[in-house]
Amino acid sequence: MPGPLPRRKSNAWWNRGWPYRIILLRELSAVAVAGYMVLLLLLVCNVRGGEGAFADHLEVLQSPLLWLVHAIILGFAQLHTTTWFRLVPKAMPLKLGGRRVPDELIVAGAFGGWLAVSAVVLVIFLVVA
Amino acid sequence: MTSEATAARTVTLEVFRYHPERDEEPSFQSYEVPYREEWVVLDALNWLKDEVDGTLSYRWSCRMGVCGSCGMMVNGLPRLTCNAFLREFLPGPIRVEPLRGFPVERDMVTVLDDFMGKLTEVKPWIIREQEQPVEEGEYRQTPSQLADFKQFSMCINCMLCYAACPVYEHEEEFIGPAALALAQRYNLDSRDQGNEQRQRLIWSDEGIWDCTFVGECSAVCPKNVDPAGAIQQAKVEATNSFFLSFLPFTPPGMGR
Repeated sequence: MPGPLPRRKSNAWWNRGWPYRIILLRELSAVAVAGYMVLLLLLVCNVRGGEGAFADHLEVLQSPLLWLVHAIILGFAQLHTTTWFRLVPKAMPLKLGGRRVPDELIVAGAFGGWLAVSAVVLVIFLVVA
Repeated sequence: MTSEATAARTVTLEVFRYHPERDEEPSFQSYEVPYREEWVVLDALNWLKDEVDGTLSYRWSCRMGVCGSCGMMVNGLPRLTCNAFLREFLPGPIRVEPLRGFPVERDMVTVLDDFMGKLTEVKPWIIREQEQPVEEGEYRQTPSQLADFKQFSMCINCMLCYAACPVYEHEEEFIGPAALALAQRYNLDSRDQGNEQRQRLIWSDEGIWDCTFVGECSAVCPKNVDPAGAIQQAKVEATNSFFLSFLPFTPPGMGR
């Protein structure tokens, strides 16, 4: 007589609903962020290569393909940031005066910090431009 | 309630069937069960067992979301069947399967040995280096100290979190969400002194580091235990401990 049925496994676990799909996209977003780091390193190399190399780099950046790549990376970067910020209170709960700070407040703090830093970057960009 | 279900007053249950003495492979069997507004999936299974097929096998006990026995996959999601109303799944069919990630003994009855073994391994009880004499009274705690672990102590061992975890599904050695959450529950308890005894297992590859923070364990938990949170907090603790071990002294507030 056969015994118990062995554990059922499926490599399609990520397709069991949106929560799982978003988690897979969240993990994949790290690849996109790493890809952007490569683009930044190429920029640094070309800046080091002198004015001509930098001008060439800027020209290449104008190609539709690289616009598309940047748009995809931006989307993944947004996903990466928002998904991880939402998880901050799980990993780092805070206590103030013996009471736990509400999760929503911690998440709001993370998003607030993100907005503040983005605003500073925008101001610097506008001043330099 | 949709008009079809009201008119028919029945709903279709597709039930996972596997009897090792009879079946080579599992299959699904469809049954029409009466629809009642107040019925949960467990009520429908009990009706089936009483009225249609007495060989249908599944675990249940309290019918009030406390015993943790009646966990099954309902339409692909781990649920306590005593807490899953038929009306949530109208117009049906409602597919009922054993919890994913566990071997199946028969029908919806899973083999729990793996979980029970791991639960014991994490020593989910208060460990004292030395018990204080009874005359000194109970070990007292402030509300703040209680709040540190209370959420993680609500676990009813229903194993829905294991069924939601793709890591446990694919890596049998993973200790898993509930056992790790219970380990963290005792590590955070101010009365406990067993942190070091649990560390070797909890901080191993099979412990917290196997978790990729999918987080569905917390989403499906019927008691809001948040095992994913417990595991991430243990990761932060392990990481802090690793870096602090390079210091020649223990910073204030970091030692237990």
